[in-house]
Amino acid sequence: MKHCPTCQRTFDDEKVFCGGDGTRLVSDAPPAYAEQQSVPPQQQSAPPSSWPSTPAASPSHDYQPPQPAAPQYQPAPTPQPESQHAAPAAHAGPLERIRCEWCQAMNEGTALSCRACGAPLDIKNLISESGWREAPRIKDMTEIHFGASTCQVEGEIVPVAEINLGPGDSIFFEHHVMLWKDDRTPMSVMPLQGGIKRALAGMPFIISVAHGPGRIAFSRDATGELVVMPLHPGVELDVREHAFLLASHHISYSYIRIKGLRNILFGGQGMFMDRFVTGNEPGLLLMHGYGNVFERYLQAGESIMVEPGAFLYKDASVTMNVETQKLTSGFFGGTGMNLARMIGPGRVGIQSMYVHHHTD
Amino acid sequence: MTYDNAAQHGGPARTHTCPWCGLVTDGTSLSCPACGASIDVGAIVTDSGWTELPGRRDMAKLQFGNSFCQIEGTYVPVADFNLAPGDGVYSAHHVLLWKDPQVNVSAMSLKGAWKRLFAGLPLIMTQAVGPGHIAFSQDSAGEVIALPLQPGQAVDVREHIFMVATLNITYDWFSTGIWFNTRNGDETETHYPLGQFMDRFFAPQTPGLLLLHAAGNVFVRQIPAGHTILVKPTALLFKDPSVQMQLHFEHPAGTIRSWRSWGERYLWLRLFGPGRVAVQSAYAHLHDNGRSITRHSNATRQQW
Repeated sequence: MKHCPTCQRTFDDEKVFCGGDGTRLVSDAPPAYAEQQSVPPQQQSAPPSSWPSTPAASPSHDYQPPQPAAPQYQPAPTPQPESQHAAPAAHAGPLERIRCEWCQAMNEGTALSCRACGAPLDIKNLISESGWREAPRIKDMTEIHFGASTCQVEGEIVPVAEINLGPGDSIFFEHHVMLWKDDRTPMSVMPLQGGIKRALAGMPFIISVAHGPGRIAFSRDATGELVVMPLHPGVELDVREHAFLLASHHISYSYIRIKGLRNILFGGQGMFMDRFVTGNEPGLLLMHGYGNVFERYLQAGESIMVEPGAFLYKDASVTMNVETQKLTSGFFGGTGMNLARMIGPGRVGIQSMYVHHHTD
Repeated sequence: MTYDNAAQHGGPARTHTCPWCGLVTDGTSLSCPACGASIDVGAIVTDSGWTELPGRRDMAKLQFGNSFCQIEGTYVPVADFNLAPGDGVYSAHHVLLWKDPQVNVSAMSLKGAWKRLFAGLPLIMTQAVGPGHIAFSQDSAGEVIALPLQPGQAVDVREHIFMVATLNITYDWFSTGIWFNTRNGDETETHYPLGQFMDRFFAPQTPGLLLLHAAGNVFVRQIPAGHTILVKPTALLFKDPSVQMQLHFEHPAGTIRSWRSWGERYLWLRLFGPGRVAVQSAYAHLHDNGRSITRHSNATRQQW
């Protein structure tokens, strides 16, 4: 039987709402949890053997026992021939943790997406046979946490990063990627050295800073992916100019001049690269890659040739040199093809749509 | 998707015929090894008869010869080739994304360089021979179309759509014959709504793999003999050589035939069956200066 909590009339079990006042009916049967509590603990059935009673006891192969997040980036695992889907969250125990395959952060066993980078936790990394792993496709409305702030990724074709800044937190960004903001969100300008150099090189003369509390949102102007990179302490990452969307205030920002005239003229990315460095605290860096984004870890001395316009980011330990190959065609003399030779060790990120879209 | 349970007839246990390329497999893999189409998804056909390019799993793997091609990504897909020794591919050089250092890339000579130069077509095709990895991508959001060509099969492709082909596919190009002239004072301007040339790919003796890149979504339709259809010229992707083309002009009724009245015209490409045609949903804007057409290639006309 059910009864209406407002008028106290009783109804059959199949009724949902009270016929008199429209209130949702309440079942008279005792709640399920009461039955569970009535069972003595020693009579409860043992959990399945694949569910460890404690995090340290015989973890299943899908999950990792809780441990602090890896301080350094771990190389991608052995390439898998095909994507494999798993549902670790559905089987995780209350004390288990799931390691994000993209950023290595540990998450609660019930989480569906990584708290630090937004990568879906129920889908394994997609890795091509040649060793490139695809940046995780962040599900619509996924929330990412950093400091006292959150970032919600909205949309999938041209995604928007909406930041809810907590008090004391701040982020910095190039001003042209700002989509909207609360009118009371405090703003300031980051002091930069070498302003004339930056102006001549076509880089943004001003880096804007937004301070919490307040909301502010960012997007770029082409189909692509948000690449969320939680940077562990002590990481140096070089990013193609104009590719970074925003970074948290724990990350220090500078820029490095690309060495070599050939690299500047034919490298397809101008004179400077952005460099992001974390000190003793982790930070969050968001980039926007045109098209799809792929990452590969190069071993020490390993090299790969990349279309310069496709370069997106690299560890500072990776060296990059542009090489020209002449393609001749008889009378017309042919043309030259410029490729960037990336030499490990470290990560290299590329974007599959490599035309640079100017926003001015 | 077609499954044939041949066991009842004394044949092999079960076969699967790919609705896109027609390859018959045992249906145990997740995607067609010849074109990458997912085999667990049925063909999507509109009421009007257009078949949507079949869904493709990310990281779908294609095989040709002793080599493999993996299609990676969904927004701007990458074709990642693992070339076996002796196998090779050719492409326009601007679609190269990355390669192993040991993969040698060289120029492939093309005939009619002057004409190609003036038509805005790439002067140089590059070819790469295995062993090693090499990857290609185009610079716009869309789909990679895998067209396995059987011996004796040819396909005509609109310019700048071609991405990569295996070396056992021959490459040729021909004049589209689709043009019109406009006059501005003493100046006569020639327009090619479809482009001045089309690419033709032909597999003479052995099967080959042709990869195209389309902007937006792709739809294919079989036009029966004697039937015709009008498509926007810049939306055409490829067609069978048996499909003939000509221009078609339409004019809305009631427009005043002033000096600008031609500005309200619609330019169509009329395609005659029999054969297969494919269109893309994100097409380039066809600029029409609106001036009077003085001459044109074979065309039909309709006044609304």
